[in-house]
Amino acid sequence: MKIGHVVGRVTLNHHVDSYRGGRFFLVLPATREQLERDTLEPLPKGNTLVVWDDLGVDIGDRIAFSEGGEACMAFNLDTPVDAYNCMILDRLDYHPPALSSDTET
Amino acid sequence: MLLARVDGSATSTIKHPSATGWRLAICQPQDDQGNDVGGPLIALDDMGAALHQQVIISSDGDSLRDWVEDSHSPLRFMVTHIVDEVLA
Repeated sequence: MKIGHVVGRVTLNHHVDSYRGGRFFLVLPATREQLERDTLEPLPKGNTLVVWDDLGVDIGDRIAFSEGGEACMAFNLDTPVDAYNCMILDRLDYHPPALSSDTET
Repeated sequence: MLLARVDGSATSTIKHPSATGWRLAICQPQDDQGNDVGGPLIALDDMGAALHQQVIISSDGDSLRDWVEDSHSPLRFMVTHIVDEVLA
């Protein structure tokens, strides 16, 4: 699953029936820099994607979402979903090695 | 399968039921020279990979669904090997 920040909401008035029961959110996939500093301000540039969610996230949450074939596995009916929110992340213990010594020998 | 480095772990309470009980390792995919490729990912890990340990993560959903015993699991990426040495 990729890590992402929920930055917006998408509302639909006409949609496929099997979308009922969930909502769509705009998610910005997290890069290393964003994860190292906790707050999102200033909002980094990046391409957001729309993630289907039924766990009840809100704007500002960090989530783990899966894309591709796995995303539509969670539905009983065949549903055209490309990105599915699997988890709302509580705590991230993120300690990447310092950038200078990035090449692990 | 991707070569990756474990950069930490994550906790999550509200999640898809098939993810219950699995350690969530934050993995950073790398190329063979050890440079980071793309963003950090979250992989299911039951091997207890240590911090900054090199591992191999598999993005195959089928084997993961057998692993978590849930045919509707939307999860992806699981740690399958702990790497001793990369002869690049």
